Amino acid sequence: MESSGRARFEAVVLPHLDAAYTLARYLMRNAQDAEDVVQDACLRALKYFEGFRGEEATSARAWLLTIVRNTAHSWRKRHRPDALAVEFDEREHRETIAERDPEAKETLGRALDRLAPEFREVIVLRELQGLSYKEISDVTGVPVGTVMSRLSRARARLQEALRGRGGALT
Amino acid sequence: MTHATFEAQVDAYLDGELPAGDARALETHLAQCPECTRFRDGRLELRAAIVAGIPTFQAPPALRERVLAAARGSSSARALRRFTMRNVWRPLALAASLAVVALGSWTLALQRAAGVALADDVLASHIRSLMPGHLTDVPSSDQHTVKPWFNGRLDFSPPVSDFAGRGYPLLGGRLDYVDGRTVAALVYGRRQHVINVFLWPAARGPAGGPSTRTRQGYHELHWTTGDYTYWVVSDLGLAELQDFAQLLRQADSTTSVPASR
Repeated sequence: MESSGRARFEAVVLPHLDAAYTLARYLMRNAQDAEDVVQDACLRALKYFEGFRGEEATSARAWLLTIVRNTAHSWRKRHRPDALAVEFDEREHRETIAERDPEAKETLGRALDRLAPEFREVIVLRELQGLSYKEISDVTGVPVGTVMSRLSRARARLQEALRGRGGALT
Repeated sequence: MTHATFEAQVDAYLDGELPAGDARALETHLAQCPECTRFRDGRLELRAAIVAGIPTFQAPPALRERVLAAARGSSSARALRRFTMRNVWRPLALAASLAVVALGSWTLALQRAAGVALADDVLASHIRSLMPGHLTDVPSSDQHTVKPWFNGRLDFSPPVSDFAGRGYPLLGGRLDYVDGRTVAALVYGRRQHVINVFLWPAARGPAGGPSTRTRQGYHELHWTTGDYTYWVVSDLGLAELQDFAQLLRQADSTTSVPASR
């Protein structure tokens, strides 16, 4: 790639590295795997950057998150069947989530971890990254209607987990 | 409107994604149905709990460095290739230097070349340290953890200071191999940047430096005190890196002078 292309890549894509890493953390449920996935995804993004014609900052983010998401899914298939990851990562998650109300956080965080990947990713993309339904549809490759119903079901499950804690929040 | 319809649409409504007509119908229903109002309030509380309870993450500095290095033209790959090439050529260069030992100007040129090779060596070590899992052997921000860690691993006890108060937190320590010997590598952070400090006992000679070199977007500072040879490498801006080097020099002069030989 030419140096102007690299400078553009730095300016357009790298501001979204935290968003990329956050998505990877929740998809991989493990810090080291998330790092590897993001690095892998960024190398791919660099390779395909010439073909990227997005003008807005949001679309660059959605573009990078799409690559991260696809990289994470193929990584999980290749390196680590989901069933294996569950007990491994719950341990780690307990350490990362705990501040003001440790009990609530642990319950919600663990509930999110237990969601199937297709529910987990829509929650992260919507609640943590603030993507529109259209952008989530682009990133995950499913129709907007499916995004809407997955979000609804994912939230219903998270809310059950909150209530299961003793209903203190409702 | 049925409860089922309401429950299917309320999330999209709260997300601002429901078409205007549907949204109006939903609001009308909401105004007259306490049960659906409770349902909506539950969802609002869930949102607040998610914001408060599910963190976003910052990409680790080392990851950012690696991606930046890749974006700046695979400098790490190039540096590593040159590093291994040089290992092949070093014995040949040594043989050549023995052959021409009588010619003073030639040895001078080779010494200069050796200085460049050492700077390349240090840079390659810095770049390698940024690859996954290579940054620290002892990840700790506590100088009283990092310094004793080197006991028994090195034949010297490097001065270790934390400069978190000045914006350069200690991230840990590591053994590295530079210039044909095992050296101490201390790792510091500055925002997203990683700073590697390589040091080992200096050959007898006058204190000197610092000298500066910039290669592949990385700055290298080098100086020698009465006790140690220092190399500091980072992609941090040169002014800040010099500021950091100044802190190191001050710390070294206060810690090592009473114990000097």
